[in-house]
Amino acid sequence: MFCYQCEQTNRSEAGAGCSAAKGACGKDAATSDLQDLLLHALKGVGQYAARLRALGAPDKEATDFVPHAVFTTLTNVNFSAARFVQMIQEAAALRDRLKTRYEEAAQKAGQTAEKLAGPAAFQPAADMDGMLKQAAAVGVLAGQDSAGEDAIGLRNLILYGLKGVCAYVYHAQAMGYESDEVFAGVEHALDFLATDPTDIGTLLNEALALGTVNFSTMQLLDAANTGSFGTPEPTSVRVTPIAGKAILVSGHEFKDLLNILELTKDSGIKVYTHGEMLPGLAYPKLKAYPHLAGNYGGAWQDQQKDFAAFPGPIVMTSNCLIEPAPSYRQRIFTLGPVGWPGVRHLDGKDYSAVVQAAKALPGFKEDAPEQRITIGFARDTVLGVADKVIEGVRSGAIRHFFLIGGCDGALPGRNYYTDFAEQTPADTVMLTLGCGKYRFNKGEYGDIGGIPRLLDLGQCSDAYSAIVIASELAKAFNCSVNELPLTLVISWFEQKAIAVFLTLLSLGIKNIRLGPTIAAFLTPNLVNVLVEQFGIQPINTPEADIAASLKKAA
Amino acid sequence: MTTHRITLTTRDGQPLEFDCEAGEDVISAAARATILLPAICKNGSCGACRASHVSGAHHHDDCSQAALPAEARARGEVLLCRTYADSDLKLQAPFDHSHVSFQPIPERQAKLSQLDDIGGNTVRLILTLEEDEQYGTSAEFEPGQYVELSTPDGSVTRAYSIANTANWEGKLEFLIHLQPQGKFSSYLSGQATIGDLLKVRGPQGGFVLQDNGTRPRCFVAGGTGLAPMLSMLRRMAEFGEMNACTLLFGVTRHADLFGLDDIAAMQASLPQLQTEVTVWQADADWQGSVGTPVDALQKLLATGLKPDIYLCGPPAMIDAAEQAALTAGVPAGQIFSERFLPT
Repeated sequence: MFCYQCEQTNRSEAGAGCSAAKGACGKDAATSDLQDLLLHALKGVGQYAARLRALGAPDKEATDFVPHAVFTTLTNVNFSAARFVQMIQEAAALRDRLKTRYEEAAQKAGQTAEKLAGPAAFQPAADMDGMLKQAAAVGVLAGQDSAGEDAIGLRNLILYGLKGVCAYVYHAQAMGYESDEVFAGVEHALDFLATDPTDIGTLLNEALALGTVNFSTMQLLDAANTGSFGTPEPTSVRVTPIAGKAILVSGHEFKDLLNILELTKDSGIKVYTHGEMLPGLAYPKLKAYPHLAGNYGGAWQDQQKDFAAFPGPIVMTSNCLIEPAPSYRQRIFTLGPVGWPGVRHLDGKDYSAVVQAAKALPGFKEDAPEQRITIGFARDTVLGVADKVIEGVRSGAIRHFFLIGGCDGALPGRNYYTDFAEQTPADTVMLTLGCGKYRFNKGEYGDIGGIPRLLDLGQCSDAYSAIVIASELAKAFNCSVNELPLTLVISWFEQKAIAVFLTLLSLGIKNIRLGPTIAAFLTPNLVNVLVEQFGIQPINTPEADIAASLKKAA
Repeated sequence: MTTHRITLTTRDGQPLEFDCEAGEDVISAAARATILLPAICKNGSCGACRASHVSGAHHHDDCSQAALPAEARARGEVLLCRTYADSDLKLQAPFDHSHVSFQPIPERQAKLSQLDDIGGNTVRLILTLEEDEQYGTSAEFEPGQYVELSTPDGSVTRAYSIANTANWEGKLEFLIHLQPQGKFSSYLSGQATIGDLLKVRGPQGGFVLQDNGTRPRCFVAGGTGLAPMLSMLRRMAEFGEMNACTLLFGVTRHADLFGLDDIAAMQASLPQLQTEVTVWQADADWQGSVGTPVDALQKLLATGLKPDIYLCGPPAMIDAAEQAALTAGVPAGQIFSERFLPT
């Protein structure tokens, strides 16, 4: 295996990347290699799907299959080699069908169908051993000798960004929201990668174009979330358990949370959110269920401890899953793109086994001491008090905004974000999104004229909310976003953060402070490009970065 | 007191470290650190705690030849329950980190719900776990694991593999061959009454389904070695796993046969399952395969198939099957076994 798609990838003097029997995430070599092969097969699907769309005949099966399949390869989503073998076969079968459709559509349009090579012509081996041999030729470093490290780095920047896009597309699809523009962007990116591109300028442009696609995707997902569950409202939520039978729902898929809430209403079972599901507690349609009891647990990387102590079933609707410990292996369930070998996977959205488990397991014996946090400051809420915010800035009461967004991870270097939050001066406001906030979101930060100093915007995809807020403030101050008293402090871990990062670059947002480390697939040359063209700044110390931000603003 | 550091690396490369005192075997030292390694008899009889010695001085107590044959000992294999450190010690385990428990083994009470003669001097025992403060009514275990059952008066404790799969009703199913002189057998055949409360200690054991991949699976069972195989096959059916699979089940005499209904039900719920039932000392009435499950395994492997092989039954059958598999070129890492001894 060779994988360097996440921030925690092995970094040694010999170079970065996980290449042992098991990756830092727990993915074994066979699964990693099969993920590479699945992506290769999906590029072939993209080649035909893009051409069919260009002929005015987009393929519904492709738009259903591709986002889900790409999502399974994102960090901490699916670890089941058997599932990848099956998906590779499905991808090849889909590609064959698309090929036939394409040839028919081209003929109908009076065109000569292109004879496509590369991934379009891939034929999977009959069994897993054969597939693993095939995978050796299509890993993420394939072609590096001829294409060069920079081109490979950019190809992977696009590939990983695409994984993030597909995750968001999948979530929007779950609520019945789709967009031809977004599908076209996904298919185009796969088709582009299938050409093994080497031109650095073209690759950079494609990366930024994918950032634009991701903006539309996040917009779509925002519409899906607010359209399905209402506009998030500031909400005080309990973060400690109460007595009774319990179900824990983790990941990002609000639709699953809704389904579980509906199934368990009036049953006496309490439902808790975990991780990125926390923002669900602020959506009117979800929080209307009285048995949505609150949030349980801390950061995703603490799940083995938190899940072991949770006395009910645990449902993983998306990432981040880490190896389930024996103590809760029988009571953790995976859904949708998620999978772990030997862990029960629920197909077809039948949650009855979860309810059965909740009834059988003991639940919490007693109430824990009450602790609450306030969440739910999405764009409408913040913009609803825009006049107060603008007045605060004009009067000097609010000196600066810090957007502390992105993912969390286990590395000690991530204490930077806790220290950063704790050291922000009292006349500054923090906006948070993504799961990085778990390190510091239970702190007491007070308010400025009634505006809380920590405003949580939601999941990582709610970067869309942050962009809307920043754009509106920029309009009010008659300046560009880059001229606002705003510093973006972004932590990345997995590939959705890469998609958001590309969106920010595509919007021309500069001077992002990026950490805790720079992605391993970005070569020194590529880092220079990011620094020179976009002012990207690797994080320093919280003290230095806060001081520099405030100095620049002043 | 002299202590030595033990580093036991699991099959998936994760090191477990703990101290071992003089005169303490490795299994006990690990348990003292709340690291519960797969082990059953803990007296050198069953072979469930086999591992490989990597480096460091140690001595090894006597053990059953069936549990650790001389050739395995010569290859550097040890039984952890018979291994004593004389220096810091590095060992390699044949199981994954996820099969090590870091919590005390659950001890629960279960009610005897059903006890049926299923032929072949074998009974099907079904227990229902009592509701428990920590575990509720759930029966959580990996397919292939076993529990220790104690009779209501606590006088006899025996280990039995579970034949069903994890469930939320607290059901545990066992297939138990009644031994003529067996103490637990005497309880079952004499005093056992519906509603009896038995102590259940477990789940335990590292003989479990290897979950990742699509490689074909071959389950070789001698006698009530069928129980863990049924658990694994039932789990495959529940999870909709598509791996090609074969069950080779053998008994000594025609009169020993049992479980044919279970096997037929398995075939109905797991369409890809191929089965062969063999009788070693067949009588004139037996119309099926004659021979041992090892004979059937050899025949299967002669086709060139290199499946994951699960073996459960008497030590002699396991040794012969392991040898047959290795001879046929099946990698040692694809052979998983659990020996049971009549008690």
